[in-house]
Amino acid sequence: MKKLLLLGLFLGGLWLAIANFTGLAHQGTYDSIVLDFREDVGAAQIEEQVQAIAKQFNISPRLNSEFSLADHVFVVPGDQKLLRALKKSEVRKYTEFIEPNYIYQAFIAPNDPDYGKQWNLRSINVEAAWDETKGKGATVAVIDTGISPVPDLAKTTFVKGYDFVNDRVEAIDDNGHGTHVAGTIAQSTNNSFGVAGIAYEANLMPLKVLSSSGGGNIADIAEAIRFAADNGAQVVNMSLGGGGESQLMKEAIDYAHSKEVVIVAAAGNSNENAAAYPARYPYVIGVSALGPSGTKAPYSNFGAGIDISAPGGSRDGDDPAGGILQNTINPETGESVFEAYQGTSMAAPHVAGVAALLKAEGISNPDEVEDVLKQSALKVENDALNHYGAGKLDAAAAVKLATRGRITFCDFFRWLRDNGYLNPRFWIDGGVIALWPKILMVIGSYLLAWFLRNFFPFTWGWSLSTGLIAGSSGLFFLKGIYLFDAPQWPFRVLGSSIAELGGAIQGTTTLNPIFASVLIPLALIVLLLGHSQWKWFAIGTAIGMTACLGVSAILSPAMMWMGDGIAARIFLLVNAVFCFALARLAVQPGGASTT
Amino acid sequence: MSMQVEGTIERKGLGPGTWALVSNDGKTYELHNPPADLHKAGLNVKVKGEIREDIMSFAMIGPILEVKSFEVLG
Repeated sequence: MKKLLLLGLFLGGLWLAIANFTGLAHQGTYDSIVLDFREDVGAAQIEEQVQAIAKQFNISPRLNSEFSLADHVFVVPGDQKLLRALKKSEVRKYTEFIEPNYIYQAFIAPNDPDYGKQWNLRSINVEAAWDETKGKGATVAVIDTGISPVPDLAKTTFVKGYDFVNDRVEAIDDNGHGTHVAGTIAQSTNNSFGVAGIAYEANLMPLKVLSSSGGGNIADIAEAIRFAADNGAQVVNMSLGGGGESQLMKEAIDYAHSKEVVIVAAAGNSNENAAAYPARYPYVIGVSALGPSGTKAPYSNFGAGIDISAPGGSRDGDDPAGGILQNTINPETGESVFEAYQGTSMAAPHVAGVAALLKAEGISNPDEVEDVLKQSALKVENDALNHYGAGKLDAAAAVKLATRGRITFCDFFRWLRDNGYLNPRFWIDGGVIALWPKILMVIGSYLLAWFLRNFFPFTWGWSLSTGLIAGSSGLFFLKGIYLFDAPQWPFRVLGSSIAELGGAIQGTTTLNPIFASVLIPLALIVLLLGHSQWKWFAIGTAIGMTACLGVSAILSPAMMWMGDGIAARIFLLVNAVFCFALARLAVQPGGASTT
Repeated sequence: MSMQVEGTIERKGLGPGTWALVSNDGKTYELHNPPADLHKAGLNVKVKGEIREDIMSFAMIGPILEVKSFEVLG
C-alpha cells in the first residue's frame, strides 16, 4: 500500500513538472498572429472567414506577402488574448494552425559602408557582443609605430600617450602599422564611414616605440609598458616581437600585470614552432593568426607560447580580400588610406579589443580576463601542433561568459609556469589532451586486468603496470609539454600509447590501423613469452590496448584510410576483442609476475 | 653578433611590408634600416652586418640584421 502511495506521489510530481515546463516555444515575443488556412478550403470560404473574424474581433487580416495567397497564410495584429480567442472561435476549423508570429531579432550590423568586407569581425561574432558592451570605460594602449588621426578614428576617444622614439608627447604614426592595429581595436563605428572596430567606445592610448622603418629597441618598449600601467591602461597590445630574452622587459610585464593590465602580443610571422618574445613571457597572451578560411595563416608561428588564435588574414598575391581591412596612412604621403594587412600583428588587436570589452564588463583581474578568453574560445579538435592555443577567439561567447560571472580557474599548468615552478623555457598546453577518454582507458585497462586476475590469479608487478600504461594511454600528459625552440615530436612520441604511435611524429590524432590493432601486442607476446618478467609487460600492453581500442571505437574512431564511420568502429572493436583474447591466452592459471 | 649572409632581397607583405634577406640556405632575416640601394626585390647580395637581439619589430619574420656593408652580386 505504501509503495502504491509513493508511486502515485511520484507520478503526480512528474506530471506537474511536465505540465509546468514552458519549453522554448513559449519564450519569444510577438505582436501578431499567423493563420494558415487548410489547403482544401476554397478561396470563397477563406474570404468569408476572414470577413467574419474581421467583424468579430475588429481586426483586419492581411496576406503576409504576395507569395502568401497560394499558401493561404494570413497575419493579424494581436496578442496572447486574441490568440486564445481565435483558437476557440469558428475559424479554427478552417485552419491548419493558428500561432504566434514570433519576432526574430537580427543583430544590427553597423552602418559603416565597408563593414561587409570585414570577414574577420563577423568570424569573431562581434555583433552579438555589442549587445552587451562596446568597450566604454576601458583604455587600450597600442605599443607600436604610433597612431595618426585618420578620418575613421575621428569619433574614437584618445587619452594621453607618448612617443618614445622621438621623445615627445604626440605619438603620431609615420609607418601605418600602428594606426591599422588601433583601427582593429577601436575604429570609429556606426559613423556611416569606412569600416568598424571591435571595442569602438574604448579609449586608445598611442605609445610609439617603433620607428618609421618598423623596428624599435627593447628599452623603449619596456618603458612604454610601464607608462601604460602607470597611466590607466587596462589592456596593452604589442603587435611586435623579436630579439632575445630581456630581464628589463620581463620586469616591465610583471609590473603591468601587478597593476591588473591585460597584456596581449603577436606570436610572430616566421611559421616557427614557438612564439617570439614578448608573446612567450609569462602573463602575456600570445596570439596566432587565422586566415579567412579559419585555419592557421601560413606565416603564423605556432606551438609553444600560443594561448589563443584570432583573424590575422592571409592575402593571395595582390588580392586584398583575405586581409584585415582598416583605415591607416600611406607611409609615403601620410594620406588616409584603407588597407588590407596580414600578420599576427593583425590578430593580436582582435584579442586586445575583446579583452577591452571584458574589462568594460567589469572584470578587473587580468588572469580572469585570460581565462574567460580561453574558456569561451571556439575549441579546435585535433590540434596536436598547437596552432590555435585554447581555440579561436569568440567575442560574443567571451562577453556572455563574463556577464554570467561563472569562471573556473582550472589552468593549473599556467599557475605552475607563472609562479616559477617550471623553467620559463618550458611551456605547457593544458588544452591539448582530451582528458576523459585517457582516464577511461587507464581505468578500463586496470579493471580488465583485475577481472582476468579473478579467474587466473597472478601477482601484480611493475612490468604489468608499465604494459597497461603503454597499451592504454601512454604518458599522455607529456603531449602538452613544449620546449621553446626545440622540436615537440619527442614529447608526442613519449606521450602516445602504442595505438597512437603511428601518427605521433606527424602530429595527427588519426589512428594508424597497423599500430591500432592486435599486431604489436601479438608480436610482443610472441617475443617475450619466454621471459618471466617481460612477459607481463606484453600481457599488460594487450590488456591496455583492449581498453584503448575499445574506448576509441566508441568516442573517437578516426582512422587512416578508413575514416571515422562504422568500418573504423568495427575494426577497432574486433581488434580490442583480439587483444583481450590474446591476454587471456597468455595469462596461465597460477602464473606469477615477479616484482 | 657580426656575420655575413649571401642571399636575395625580398619584400615581405606583412603589415605595410618589410625588406627581408633570404639567405641561400633558406633562412629569412629582417633588414634593419636597410640603405635605399637594397630596396629592390630580387637583388642578389652579400651583406655584412650584425644580428640585433635588442631590437623588436612588427614584421617578426626572423632575426633582425642590421646592415653594415653590402655587395651586389652578379
